Amino acid sequence: MMLPLAAFTVAFGLAFGVAAAHQGLSHWEAMSMSLFVFAAPSQFAALELWDSPLPILALAAITMAIHTRHMLMSAALYPWLKLLSKRQQFAMVIFLTDSSWAMAMAEYHRGERNLGILLGGGIALWCAWVVGTAIGLAFGGEITEPERYGLDVIMLCFLLMIVVGGNSRAVMALPWLASALSALMAYWWLPPYLHVVIGALVGGVVALLLPGRWFGAVTS
Amino acid sequence: MNTSPTLQSLLAITLMVVIAYGSRVLGLLVMSHIPLGPNVRRFVDAMSSSVLIAVITPMVVHGDGGARLAAIAAGTVAIVLRSPLASIGVGMACAAFWRWWLV
Repeated sequence: MMLPLAAFTVAFGLAFGVAAAHQGLSHWEAMSMSLFVFAAPSQFAALELWDSPLPILALAAITMAIHTRHMLMSAALYPWLKLLSKRQQFAMVIFLTDSSWAMAMAEYHRGERNLGILLGGGIALWCAWVVGTAIGLAFGGEITEPERYGLDVIMLCFLLMIVVGGNSRAVMALPWLASALSALMAYWWLPPYLHVVIGALVGGVVALLLPGRWFGAVTS
Repeated sequence: MNTSPTLQSLLAITLMVVIAYGSRVLGLLVMSHIPLGPNVRRFVDAMSSSVLIAVITPMVVHGDGGARLAAIAAGTVAIVLRSPLASIGVGMACAAFWRWWLV
C-alpha cells in the first residue's frame, strides 16, 4: 500500500522540482522547502506567490490556511497517540502528511494499533518527496510542460481518492455539498485561499446541524 | 522591505516550516485540552473531509478539460476499485491523453 504511494510521491516531488525551477527558485530554496516544510499543497501555493519582493505576510497567511487541515488531522490522531509522552507525540507528527495520515487512519479504524504505520509511512513519503524534488530540479530544464504528462493532476487525484475512497457515507452528502458551494463562492469573491478554511468550517457546521441520529449508527 | 533576496527567502521558508510543523503539533495540544464529546467528534470528522472538498472544488471547476476528466476518472476508479494506485494512475493518464490529443 505504501510503496506505490511512495512511487507517486517521487513523481509528484518531480513535478514540484520542475515547477520550482521554472518559477525561478534556486535549488537550495526548493530543496529546503521539500526537506523541512514537507507539505505539497503549501509548497505549490508558495510557488504561485514567489515573486521578488516576497509577499511574506500573504505567504504566511496562505500557509496557515492550508495547514489548518493538518491541525485537524493531528487532532484526529490524538486518541491514538495519547498514551505516548508529549515528546514522543510531537516526534510522531513531524512527518505527518495527508497521504500517510489517511492511510494510517484507515488502518486504525481496521483495528491496527501499531504506530509504525504512521511514522514509517511518513518517513517513506518524506524520502520519496525529497528524492523527487531533487530529480525534478536536476532535469527541470528538459521537461518544459509537466502538465502534458499529467504531473499536475497527481495532487487532485490523490485528494479526491482520499475523500471518496476514505469514508464516503451518504450522510456526508449535505456537508460536502455545502462545503463545495461555500468554497467556490469564497474562491470567487474573497481573498485567495480563504476558501479552504471557509469550506472546512461550513462542512463541519452543517454536519453539526444535521440530526445526530443520522450519524449515530456509524460512529467509529 | 530592503532585505536581500536570500534573506527574504530564508525568512519565508522558515516561516513556512514553523507554521507547517506548528499546525501538526497544535492539533494535538488542542485535543489534549478539549473533551472528546460526540459533537466535537462529528464536527472534527466532517471538517477534516470538508477541507479536502474545499481544496478540490475550485481545482475542478477552474481546471482545463484534462483536469476535469482526470477528476471524474480518478473518482470513479477510487469508488469502484478502491485502489489509490489505479486511481491516480488513471487520472494522470486521462489528463495526459486529453492534452496530447484533444487540445
